Amino acid sequence: MSAYHEAILVVEDDSQIRNFIKYTIEKEGYHFWGCSNAQTAMSLLVTEKIDLLILDLGLPDYDGIEVIKKVREWSDLPIIVVSARDQDQEKVLVLDAGADDYVTKPFSANELLARIRVAIRHLYRSGEMKSNFFEVDNLRIEFDTRTVTLDSKMVHLTPNEYSLLTLLAKNAGKVMTTDTILKEIWGVNYGSDTQALRALMAGLRRKIEQTPGMPHYIITEIGVGYRLRDA
Amino acid sequence: MKQQKKLGFQFIFPFLILIFFLGSATLIGLFFQTQNISETNIVIIYLLFVLLTARLTEGFVYGIFAAFSSTLAFNYFFTEPRYSLQVNNSGYFITFFIMTSIAVITSALTSKIKKSANIALEKEREMRALYFLTNQLTDATDYEGIAETIVRTLSDILQERVACLCFDENGNPQNSFVQCVSKEHVIYRETQNVNDIRYRIAELRTAYFEGEEFCDWPIYGRESVLGVIRIPKSCNMNLTESQKKIIHSMIESTALAMDRLREEKARHKSNQEIMQERFRATFLRSISHDLRTPLSGIMGTAEILMDQTKDNNETYEMISAIYKDADWLHSMVENILNITKIQEGKLVPRKQYEALEEIIESALEHFKRRELEHRIILDIPEQVIIIQMDGKLMMQVFINLLDNAMKHSEKDSEIIVRVMLVPETDQVEISILDSGEGIFDEDIPHIFQMFYASKNLKKEEKHGVGLGLSICQAIVLAHNGTIYAENRKDMAGAVFRILLPLH
Repeated sequence: MSAYHEAILVVEDDSQIRNFIKYTIEKEGYHFWGCSNAQTAMSLLVTEKIDLLILDLGLPDYDGIEVIKKVREWSDLPIIVVSARDQDQEKVLVLDAGADDYVTKPFSANELLARIRVAIRHLYRSGEMKSNFFEVDNLRIEFDTRTVTLDSKMVHLTPNEYSLLTLLAKNAGKVMTTDTILKEIWGVNYGSDTQALRALMAGLRRKIEQTPGMPHYIITEIGVGYRLRDA
Repeated sequence: MKQQKKLGFQFIFPFLILIFFLGSATLIGLFFQTQNISETNIVIIYLLFVLLTARLTEGFVYGIFAAFSSTLAFNYFFTEPRYSLQVNNSGYFITFFIMTSIAVITSALTSKIKKSANIALEKEREMRALYFLTNQLTDATDYEGIAETIVRTLSDILQERVACLCFDENGNPQNSFVQCVSKEHVIYRETQNVNDIRYRIAELRTAYFEGEEFCDWPIYGRESVLGVIRIPKSCNMNLTESQKKIIHSMIESTALAMDRLREEKARHKSNQEIMQERFRATFLRSISHDLRTPLSGIMGTAEILMDQTKDNNETYEMISAIYKDADWLHSMVENILNITKIQEGKLVPRKQYEALEEIIESALEHFKRRELEHRIILDIPEQVIIIQMDGKLMMQVFINLLDNAMKHSEKDSEIIVRVMLVPETDQVEISILDSGEGIFDEDIPHIFQMFYASKNLKKEEKHGVGLGLSICQAIVLAHNGTIYAENRKDMAGAVFRILLPLH
C-alpha cells in the first residue's frame, strides 16, 4: 500500500481552510487535489483518478448536497462533508443523500485525518472478500458464529443488541443515522421510536463499555446517530 | 322667531294657492257663462283647479278644502238663484254631490301619488348617499379617511354637525375625534372622558346611547367596537324610522370598511413579521457560517503550526495561545447565537427520547479535542435514564457547565459529574462539582443573570460576557427543570445542580 498515494479532492471555497487541509493530508502522504467550486470539482472527478472527496456544503455555484447526489449517480467514491452549518437535520440530510461522513467547522486536523482513514479503509474493504469477523481494540465479533468477545471473554447479547452491534460494525467508523438504525433493526414500518433505540443502546453499552457516559467503542453523535470506533 | 315666520308662511302659502285657483276657476266660469258655454264645462274647470291645488299643496287637507269650496263657489256663482247659496232646481244637488265626490277623490289620489313620489325621491336620495358613501369608503386607506367620509355624508343627510370617534385595535377610544363643521370642513377635537365612552358603549344594549346633548351610535365590527358616531340629541330625537334605518346601514358600511382596513393592517403586519423572521434566520445562519469558516482556518492553521513547533517551546506557547483564543471565540459565537434564539422567544426545544448518559458523553467529547487538563469523574447510575429532551440544547448546558468548572479549577484537579435519581419527586438530579475557589455568596443570587460579571473576579482571568450560565438556565427552564448553584460542603468548590422531571 505504501507505493500508492490516494488522491483526495478538496472542494472548499475558503483558501485558508483549503491550505490547512492540503498541509494536513499531504503530511499524511495523500495526494492533494483542490478546487473552489462544484463545477470544477465535477470535471476533476471525471478526468482524474480521485479516491476520496472532501466537500464543503456552502459552495459558490451549487449546494454541496446537489454535488453528493450527482456523484452518487455514478460513483461509490467516499465523500466526507466539511461544513459550517451545524443543524442536525442538515447532517442527517447529507448522510442520507449518500455522504460517508460529516465534520463540522471548526474541526481539528486529527479529527479530519481519522475520518479520512476510516473512509479509505472502507474503500479497500468493499473491494475485498467479505470478512467473517470484525475487530477493534479488545472487541471482536464473529459473524459466522454470531459471537461477541470482549477481552477474550464471551459477551451475551440479545438478538437486537447483536443486530445493532453488527450493523455498526459493518459500517465501522461511519455515522449511522438514528432513522437508518431504526429501519434496519425494527423494519420500515416501525416509525421513529427513539425511546426503544436509546434503551437498546444503553443495554448494549453496559455489556461492552466500562463506563456508560464515557464509552470507548460506540460514540454518540447527538441529534444524528451513532458511530462504532474503527481501529 | 324665524322658525315661526317660516311656519306661518308654510300655512299661508297653500291657502293663497287655493284662493288663487278658486278665483281663476270662477272668473273662467263667469267668462264661459257670458259665451253661453254649458255649465258642465264650468264644473270641469272647477275640478281641474281642485286637482291643481292638490298637486301644488302638501297633504290632502287643502285638496279636500278646495273640493268643498269649489262646490260652494259653483253653487254661489252659477246656480239659480245666483249669488246665493240657495238652489231652486233640486237636480243641482246631484251635480253638487258628484262634483264634491270627484273633487275629493281626485285631490286625495293626487296627494297620495305625490306623497309616494316624495318617499321614492327620498329613498333614492338615501340610496345615492349610501352608494356614494360605500364608494368613498372603498377608497379610504386609513381610519381618518373613513371617519371623515361617514361624518361628511351623515352631516349632509341630517343637516347637522355629526362627529365620529374611532377606537384603536385594543378597543380603546382614540384621543381625538373628527367632527363636521360645514359642508366642506371637518375638524379634529380632543376626546373628553375617553373611558366613560368606552364603558358606556361596552354596556350598551340598545341601538344608541342617549347622552344629555348627544346620542352615540356604536360602530360594531366583527370582533370589537370600532368607533362611535355622535349625533346632536335635538336632531336624533326627530329622526324618522327610515332615517334611523339609513343611519344604521351607513354605520354598517363604515364597520365593514373599518374591518377591512384592520384586516389589511393585520395581514400586512404578519407579512412583515414573516419577512423579518426569514431575514433574521438567514442573518443568523450566515453570521454563524461566516464566523465559523475563518475560525476554522485560524484554528486549523494554528494546529499545524503547533505541530511543527513542538520543539520550540516559546513559539509553541504563542501559537497555542492563538489557538485557545480562537477556540474561546468559537464558543462565544455559539453562545451568542443561542442567546439570540432565547431572547426572541424562539427557543422551542425539539424533544425526543434521549439517554442522559449519551448527552453527557457528547458534552465530554466536545472537550476531547485538546488534552483534558482535568480529571473528570463520572458517577452515573446503572439504570438507564431516558428523558424527552432536546439533546443538542441539553448538551450545550453540560458543555457550558463543564467549561465553567474547568475554568475555575486548577490543572489536574477533579471535576465530578454525578447523576442521581430522585424517586420521591420523580426527578433526576445532575450535579457538576468542581474543586475551584467556589462562588462568593453575594454572586449566587445573580449568577444566572445575563451579562452578570462578578466583582470578585481576578483581573487576568479570562471570562465571558456572562452568557453561558444564563443560557443554561433558559434551556433547563424550557425543559421544565430547575438549575441552581451553591458551594460544596465537603471541600472548596462550586456545585451546579440541575433537576429535570423524569416524565
